Amino acid sequence: MTPDATRRRAIGQILLLAAGFLVLVAISASSVILVNQARKDNGLVVHTVEVENQINTLLLEIRRAESGVRGYLLTRGPEFLSDHQAAVAATLPAVEKLARLTADNPVQTENTGKLRSAVEARLDQFAKEMNFLKQNQPEGAVALVREAAASNTSGAIRDVALAMRDEEERLFAVRADNADRTQRLASLVTIAGSGLVIALAGISIFLVRRSARARDEAEALLRDNNINLETTVDQRTADLREANNEIQRFAYIVSHDLRSPLVNIMGFTSELEELRADIFRRIASLSRAAGPVSPLPVVTGDAEPALDGEDRQLSQDFSEALSFIKSSIAKMDRLITAILNLTREGRREFEPVPIDTRELIEGIVATVAHQAAEAQARIRIEALPNIISDRLALEQIFSNLIDNAVKYLKPGVPGDISVRGRTRLGFAIFEIVDNGRGIDPRDHQRIFDLFRRAGAQDKPGQGIGLAHVRALVRRLGGTMSVQSELNSGSTFTITLPIAWTASNRNRDT
Amino acid sequence: MSQPVTIIMIEDDEGHARLIERNIRRSGVNNAILPFSNGTAAMNYLFGKDGSGLDRKGEALLILLDLNLPDMTGIEILRRVKENKYLKCAPVVVLTTTDDSQEIKRCYELGCNVYITKPVNYESFANAIRQLGLFFSVIQVPPAAI
Repeated sequence: MTPDATRRRAIGQILLLAAGFLVLVAISASSVILVNQARKDNGLVVHTVEVENQINTLLLEIRRAESGVRGYLLTRGPEFLSDHQAAVAATLPAVEKLARLTADNPVQTENTGKLRSAVEARLDQFAKEMNFLKQNQPEGAVALVREAAASNTSGAIRDVALAMRDEEERLFAVRADNADRTQRLASLVTIAGSGLVIALAGISIFLVRRSARARDEAEALLRDNNINLETTVDQRTADLREANNEIQRFAYIVSHDLRSPLVNIMGFTSELEELRADIFRRIASLSRAAGPVSPLPVVTGDAEPALDGEDRQLSQDFSEALSFIKSSIAKMDRLITAILNLTREGRREFEPVPIDTRELIEGIVATVAHQAAEAQARIRIEALPNIISDRLALEQIFSNLIDNAVKYLKPGVPGDISVRGRTRLGFAIFEIVDNGRGIDPRDHQRIFDLFRRAGAQDKPGQGIGLAHVRALVRRLGGTMSVQSELNSGSTFTITLPIAWTASNRNRDT
Repeated sequence: MSQPVTIIMIEDDEGHARLIERNIRRSGVNNAILPFSNGTAAMNYLFGKDGSGLDRKGEALLILLDLNLPDMTGIEILRRVKENKYLKCAPVVVLTTTDDSQEIKRCYELGCNVYITKPVNYESFANAIRQLGLFFSVIQVPPAAI
C-alpha cells in the first residue's frame, strides 16, 4: 500500500465520521423541532376540543335557564328560580370564555359576536319573563315563553352554535391531520437518520476492517521479508565462510606442494656447486699440466685451485649464477613458510581470556630490549585498558607493531616509542606511536598488503607482519589504521572490543 | 646382525629419492635401498600378493616414508604397516615436507619411530639425512617375524 493511498484512506475515514456526526446532529435538531411542532399541533387539537366543550357548556347553561323559567312558571318552586338565576349568571361568563378561546380565529370571532348578541337577546327575554312572574302576571310570562319558543332567538343560538361547532370540527380535522403528519414526519426523519447512521457505521466498520486486513497483510509481508533476509544473510555468511575455508585450504596445499620441488632445486643446486668445485679443480690441473712451468705451488685438498684468465672469469660467473639461484630459492622458501604460517594462524581457534594488557606489553618490550638499546630507542608504556581477548593473537599484534617501530627508526635519531590506550563505547583503542622514518601516505594501504613493503628496503623482512596483524585484528572484531608522514613518525591505531567473545564475529572469518 | 637390513624408500619425488640415497651413501651406509615412487607398488612389495605380509617374514626392513604420495597418504601405509603382525617391528622413519604439528602427532600415535621434516636448505637436508644414515648404521633391526 502506497503512502498516498494510506493518507487518502485516513482522510476518507475522518470524513465518514464527520458525516455520521453531522447526520446525528441533524436528526437531533429536526427531532426537537418536529416534537415541538407535534406538541403545538396537539395543543391546537386540544384547544379545538375545549372550544367545542365550551360551546356545549354555553348551550347547556341556556337550556338550564330556559327549563328553570318554565319550571318556576309551572310550580313557583323557589328551587327553579335559584337554578335559573345560577344558569343565567353562568351564561355570560361562558360566552366571554368562548370569545377568549376563539380570539385567534376571525371566523369564530364573528360567530361569537353573533352568538353573544343572540344570547343577550335571549337573556333579555328571560329577564322580561322573570319580571312578569315577579309582578304575578303568569299570563304575560307564558305569552313571552311562547313568543320566545316561536321566535328565532333560540334557533339563532342553535344555528350559530352549530356553525361554530362545524368550524371547530373542520379545524379539528385539519389540526389532527397536521399533528398526524408531523408525527409521521418525525418518525420518518428518525428512521431515515438512524438508517443513515447505521449505513455510515457499516461503511466505517468495513473501511476499518479493510485497513486492518491491509495492515495485517503488510505485517505478514514484513515478517516474511525479515525471515527471508535472515535466511539470505545466513546463506551468504555460510557461502563466505565456505569460500574462505576453500582459500585457506588452497593456500595450505599450494604452499605445501611448492616446497617439494624447492627441495630438489636447492638440493641439486648444491650438488652442482660441489660439481663445480670438482670441474674447476680438474681444469686447473689440466691447464697446469698442458701449460708452461707453473710459478704457483701445487694445491692440494679442497681449497680452490688457482686459475688464470678466462678460467677464473668462468669460475666466477658460475659461482655468481649459483648464488643467485640459491638466494632466490631461500627467498621463495621464506615466502612459502610465511603463507603456511598465515594459513595455520587463520585456522587457529581463538580463546577469549582476560588480559592484563600492561603486563603483556611489558613482556614484549623486554624481548625487543636488545634491539631497542642498539637503536638507542626508549619505549614508554602509558596507561592501558585491560581487555578480554585472545592472548596469543594480541601478543602477535603488539610484538609486530613494536618490532616495526624499533626496526624502522630514523638513523641517527634516538628513538622514542610510546604505547598508549583508552576506551570508548565498548572498544579499547591502542596507539603505538614512534618518531621513526614514517610512511608516505601513498603507501598507507600498501603496507597492509601481503608481501608488500614501503620505503627504503634496508632491513630484512618479507612484508608479512602488518598483513598478519590486520588479519588478526579483524578476526578479533576490531579495526586498525595508520597516521603517518614521511620523516615524521607513525601512529598505528588499533581498536578492539573490550570484551571479545567467539560469537562477536564468525570464528572462521 | 644375522641378515643385512634392507631400506625401503617410499618417495614419489625422484629428485628427493636421489638426494636421499646420495646422502645416505655419503654417510657410509651400504645397505640395499629399494625405492618405490608410489604407495601401491610399495604396499604390494611389503604385503606380498596375498596382502598378509607373509612374503616379508624373516626379513629385516627399515622403512623411509614420505607422507604426500600420489595414490595414497603415507599415513595410511604407516597404519597398515603397524597393524601387520609381520611388519610392525620394522622401524618407520617418516621423512616429509610437512611440519604441521597435528600431522606429526598423528604419525607418532600410529607408531612411527622417527619423524623428520625435509628442510629446504640443502645443507640442513644433507646433514639430516647423513645423521639418519649414521643412525641406520648403528640401529638394531629385528627380522620381521612373529
